This record gives sequence, structure tokens and C-alpha cells, in this order.
Amino acid sequence: MKRFALAGNPNCGKTTLFNSLTGSTAHVGNWPGVTVDKRDGVYKKTPEPVAIVDLPGIYSLSPYTPEEVIARNYILDEKPDCVINIVDATNLERNLYLTTQILEIDVPMVIALNMMDEVEKAGDKIDAELLSSRLGVPVVKISALKENGLKDLMETAYAASLKERVGTTVLEESSLAHLIGDVRIALKGQGVKGPLFHAIKLVENDSIEVEMHKETIPMIDEFKATHEDDVFGDDFEALVADARYKYISEYFAPALSKKKQEKFSMSRSDKADKVLTHKVWGIPIFLVILFAIFHLTFSEDFLYLGAIFKLPTLEDLGLLTEDADPLHYGVRLLACIYDGAVFSPGVIINNIWNNMLVGELFGRLGGLVEGSSMAPWAVGLINNGIFDGISSVLSFLPPILVLFLFFSILEDSGYMARIAFILDRMFRRFGLSGRAFMPMIMGFGCSVPAMINTRTLADDKERTATVRVIPFFSCGAKLPILTAVAGAIVAYFGVGNADVITFLMYLLGIVTAVVTVLLMRNTTLKGETPPFIMELPAYHAPQFKNLMAHLWDKTKHFVKKAFTIILASTIVIWFLTHFSFNWHFLEDEAINESILAGVSQLVQPIFTPLGFGSQLGQFGWVFVVAAVAGLIAKENVIATFATLASCLVAMANLNIGGLDIAAEEGIDAVQAMILATGISVPALIAFIAFNMTTIPCFAAVGTAKAELGDKKRFNGTLIFWITSSYAVAAMIYTIGSWWWTAFIWAAVAAAATALVVLKNKRAAKTVKAV
Amino acid sequence: MGVLEIALIVGCVAIVTGVVVSRIVRKKRGGTTCDCGCDCAHCAGCARSAEREGDSKGINHLAKR
Repeated sequence: MKRFALAGNPNCGKTTLFNSLTGSTAHVGNWPGVTVDKRDGVYKKTPEPVAIVDLPGIYSLSPYTPEEVIARNYILDEKPDCVINIVDATNLERNLYLTTQILEIDVPMVIALNMMDEVEKAGDKIDAELLSSRLGVPVVKISALKENGLKDLMETAYAASLKERVGTTVLEESSLAHLIGDVRIALKGQGVKGPLFHAIKLVENDSIEVEMHKETIPMIDEFKATHEDDVFGDDFEALVADARYKYISEYFAPALSKKKQEKFSMSRSDKADKVLTHKVWGIPIFLVILFAIFHLTFSEDFLYLGAIFKLPTLEDLGLLTEDADPLHYGVRLLACIYDGAVFSPGVIINNIWNNMLVGELFGRLGGLVEGSSMAPWAVGLINNGIFDGISSVLSFLPPILVLFLFFSILEDSGYMARIAFILDRMFRRFGLSGRAFMPMIMGFGCSVPAMINTRTLADDKERTATVRVIPFFSCGAKLPILTAVAGAIVAYFGVGNADVITFLMYLLGIVTAVVTVLLMRNTTLKGETPPFIMELPAYHAPQFKNLMAHLWDKTKHFVKKAFTIILASTIVIWFLTHFSFNWHFLEDEAINESILAGVSQLVQPIFTPLGFGSQLGQFGWVFVVAAVAGLIAKENVIATFATLASCLVAMANLNIGGLDIAAEEGIDAVQAMILATGISVPALIAFIAFNMTTIPCFAAVGTAKAELGDKKRFNGTLIFWITSSYAVAAMIYTIGSWWWTAFIWAAVAAAATALVVLKNKRAAKTVKAV
Repeated sequence: MGVLEIALIVGCVAIVTGVVVSRIVRKKRGGTTCDCGCDCAHCAGCARSAEREGDSKGINHLAKR
């Protein structure tokens, strides 16, 4: 099968084109650096099916970051049958810089002028025929987003792939032509394939080429010694870049004819940026947007209308009474939207999903099982083990999707890239560049792709620090822990407000990330912060198709997980809580004699400083089990709560039989745990904090191992996660329980800071002396 | 123990071993362990074939500093 590679600058629309051609749903974002690895798909409308390979965006074939190496290596080593070079037509000159380099490789090539709809909208014109004749390769106008010109592009690319193509260069007319020619002849004599590209890169002093042709370097240096330039001296990289840009502006730029403008006018993006990236207001605006997202997702009092106008509850209105018909769907639907306050959109969707769909479905299934002739233990396994576990996890699908939708809107609109820009100044103080923000914000969705996205960071130490703190940006799987425990705190203790607690916990994760990065960059991962240069994409309205693709993908992943790993874990946990060490079956009331209880009670004291250890008495181990189960997948925490709470509810002596474990998105399960153990509010918050900052799920751990590469660094990462989560949770529990311990923690922090500062000063002095 | 109970136990054992074995097989084949089956939107990034392992090994030193 023929292989066509999609290559181009970051954020020029490669993945959008890839999705349109192959029908894939690969992640598309309106910021540079979304794609960090190559991916394959198949296009079937050419005479024979063609494999399409989407490559990470590159500005040049001299790579600076790991994902740029992937793109370069693919074009050079894998020799695709055709390279489709996607050029952002709204940024023609800059994009053609990469084109001039791909032209130098002996590979068939077609230029796709993307975003032509935007160019035409602005009243500009591009003469594709002129451009094609000057470049010597076919040029096709397309709009990947609107799927215009794609058939023409693929037909042209297919035709091009049938012919051989020898590399050409725009440097033929530059002062470097002789030098390049000499090196090319030398390489050709050595039998190097495609000598033109390698010759130019060697002249540029490209580090990869220098490494590959070590023996030729002295000869090239001799050739270079004969070349003089008054402006750039012996900076050959700059010389080559300058020659390329001169050629582009002289020969290619005239293909673009811009609509005459009377005077300089700001685009809508520029106007929005004046406010959104304001040096003072930029960060507060971001925090307000973030809070609004949490309010729209979690608040049970939309815009606080209920609190302001003292709205009546459904009970006050006589609609919801004890003897109301439970099957009256009208009232039930109304109760999903309003009860003393109008609920936020996220809560409304959540209520409908849980009260009218998941709750109803699992309630009926449970009833069927109860009514069957199965033995009581089998009924318990299905209803309390499997159904409670899975339904409690599935009940969190709406808030995760709503939250993810808002983040996708921010990403697709181009605002996320701005946040990286406005946070750069702040991040720099902590030792990271604003670029590190993009993988971090991806961490709110899932740590796995976020860790992979750190490939866009050029500095190894910065990359390690970022990989380590990504799990602190609470992912979708941690959301159920947050909302269930926060909801139980509000419901049981009457403390606070669920959306505020959730928002504050997310902020806690961010603050922990910032503090630990600061610590790492001043101790074990010391190093200079690399400069941050990022192209800000123009704002555009989020694409409905993209948003739905993101949501569908998240749903698929979540449901798949619920019916595989979560289902398997709930079964294992149910068996371990219903069998003793001598393999006797135990009733729900006797789970304290189970294998799980026995093992957990052994490690329970370790968690005492965090508030959910020995002080919780005989049932305290349930929190330990939940936290440990979360290491497999964080959704397991809430599934474990549900399975264990079902047993606790069955115990007559605990007197908590009125709770409905499957209902209220795990809140009742947590309330059952509170009643059984007597855990305090600070300990519950410490439990959330521990789960948010400790070792993430197996998948994220595996990704961190693969991305960090170095075994020592990976082991350090594991130790880092354990110690930071322990310290954060212990701090929250002790300060929350005994306020004066804040002074002890402050003293420890001050001493640690002083120690680091002194050590660094001494090290700096030693370096100076040397 | 009736037929239903036996079927339940067999089903549970099949689910647990199936999940564990599929993860091991997927990992051996160079896939991801993140349960997305390499078909999530992010996933060309997270699918880590043996060939790709080779790609990413040493990538950092190749990138220009």
C-alpha cells in the first residue's frame, strides 16, 4: 500500500486533514503541538487505498524537540511515496520555509494550501499556478475544515507518487551555492543517498547530520573556511535561513495578492487578545473563567439565584411529598432541574442521567436479581458488588463530559494557547516555561496523553518536572472522588458548597504542582528555563464536529473502562471482602474478618497522620482499600466505596440502613463510610488530596516510565509522588484538626527554603570561584 | 449450588482473567495499557508499538539543544 505523509508547521491543520481523509477522530486542538507522534489511517478513494501518516508539526527539518525528530526521521528514513506538505495559506511566507527544506529531499511532493476559505474571506488571493511553477511541485488549494478540494489533492498526490522526484533547492542562487555543491559532490562520492539534503544540513551544522557524517566534517570545515560573509560571519545556520527567506520573499511571496487596506486595522483576534492576554487582568480573567466552568458543571444553585431570592423548594410548593407517586415523571423531571434553586446545566444533565436513566436501569436490574432463585451470596455479589460498583462509576459520566466539553471549547477556540502565553511570566519564576502549561492543562482530561505531550518541551529537566506534576492536575477519573466526598461533606456535615470545595481542590492540585516544581527546579532538577516562543493561533468558533468527537471519545473510554477494569476490580474486591483467610464465605456483617480487612488493617497505621488510619477504628481500613484500589484506576476508589458501603449498610449495629448506596453519585456511599468510621472533615479532605496527588493509575505510571526513559529518574518520580501526596494530606489533616500546627508546617517550609537557598548560593559561589 | 451460581462464578473468573490477560497481551504487542485499546483520540500518541519504542529511544539526545 502506498504511504502519503502529512507534513507541515504546527497548527496548520494536518490532523484536521487527516481526520477528513481517513474518517478518524484524532485529537484536534487550536494550538501548536497537539500531535506528538505519528499516526496512521487509510484513504480509499484513490485507485488503490493509500495509508495516510499524520506527523507532528515542525517548523524546520532541524529538530529541537523529540516529536520534531519523529517527523524528520519519518520523511527521511521511511521514504513515503508522497509528502503532502500542508501550508497555512494565511501565513504563506513563514510556512514555505519548511517547504523549501522538504523540496531538497528526493521524494514526490504536493503542496496543500490549507485554510483557503480564510484567505478568500479576507479578500486576498493566491496564484496557485504561479506558486506551482516556481516551486516545481503541484499546488492544490484546500480547506481541511470545510473538506473543500480534498479529492483534487489526493488525486494530485496519487499522480505525483507514480513518478520519481529528485530534490531541488532554492539555495542555488545564493552565495552558498558553491559550498553546498562541493559538499554534495563529496557526499555523492561517498555513496550517500539524497546528497543534496544532507549537504545543506551539514553546511547548516545540523547536529544530527554532524553526528552521522563525522568523518566528512574536517573536509567540510575546509570548504567553509573559504566562504566569507560580512553579516553572519561563520554562522552558517543563519546564513542558510537568511538565503531561504530572501528567496521566498522574492519568488514565492508575489503569488499572494493582498486586498488593499486603507489603514492598519486590528483583527477580531487582536482585539480579544487586548483584553484576554492583558498583563494584569489576564490571569484573573482566566481564574474567573475556570470558576464559571466549575459553577456551570457542579453548582446546585445556578448564579446563586436560590440564595439571593430565597426560592421555595418543591416540598414548599406541595409537589414533592412523602406519599408522592414515585413514577410521576413530570415531578421527577422538575426535581432534576429545580428544588429551591435552579440547578446548573451540568447538575441538570447529571440528575436526569442518574435519577431517570442509570438509577432506574440498575434499580430494575437489581429487582430482577432479587426476585430470582439465586442464593443470597450470588444476589449480594451481583447487586452490591457488581451493580453498585459499576453504577456508581457510570453515574459520574455527565459531570466528566460537561467539564470536558468546556475545556474542549477553550482549547478549540484558541484561548488555551493564550493561557500558556499569559502564564509564561509566572511559570518562569518557578522554573518552567509557559509551554509546559499545555500538557498540564491536558492533564485535566487524562494524564496519559498529557505526559506524552511533554515531548514538545525541549529541556529534559523541564520535561521531567512537568511529567511529575501532571497527575496533580486532577484528571476526569479523579472527579468522582472529588464530587462524591465533597458532596458527602456538604450533605453530612452541612459544611460549604460542593462546587466551591471541588474548585478549591482543583486549585490545591495546581498550587501543589507549582510548589513542587519550584522545589525540584531549585534542587534535583536545577537548570535554566528555556525561552518560550509559541505561535498564537487566531480565535475561531469551536467546531461542533470536533467537540462531539472529543466527547464521544471520552464516553467510549469511560464506559469501556467501567465494564473492563472497574468491573474486574469490583469482583475481586467483593470476593476478598466475603472470604476469610481460611476460605470461609462471610456474610456482609462479617467483612471485618475478611482477607481484605486483614491485609488492610496491617497497613492502616501508615495512614494515621493523614486522618484515615488507626484513629478510625475497626472499619477505618475501608479508606485504605479505596486508596489502594485507586492505583489501578482512579474510578476504582468510588466503585470500592460502593461495594464496601453496601456491606456496612447491612450491619444492623451501625444503624445506617436508610442510605441508598447506588443513588446520589456515591455521596450516600461516602456517608455510610463516615457513619461507620466517624471520619472528620479534615481527614476527608486529606483523603481527596492524597488521591489527587499520589501515584496515578497504572496507565499513567507506565507512560511516565516510557517517557522519562531513565530508570533512576522514573524511580525518583515514584518516590516524589508518594512523598508529596503524604506531605500534602498530612498537612491538610493536621492543620484542619489542630490549627496551630500551621506554624509547625510554616517553620518546616521556611527551614527547607532557607536550606535550599543557602545550598544554591554556596554552589553558585563555588562555580564562580572555579 | 445451582446452575445460575456456577455460571456466575465462571463468568466472574472469565471477566477477571480476561481483563488481566488482555492487558498483558496488549502490552506484549506494544500497545497501551490505558484501556482505550489504542483507538482514543489521543491515542496515536499513547499507542507505543515496539517500533515506536525504538523511535523514542534516544530521541532526546537527537533533538537539538
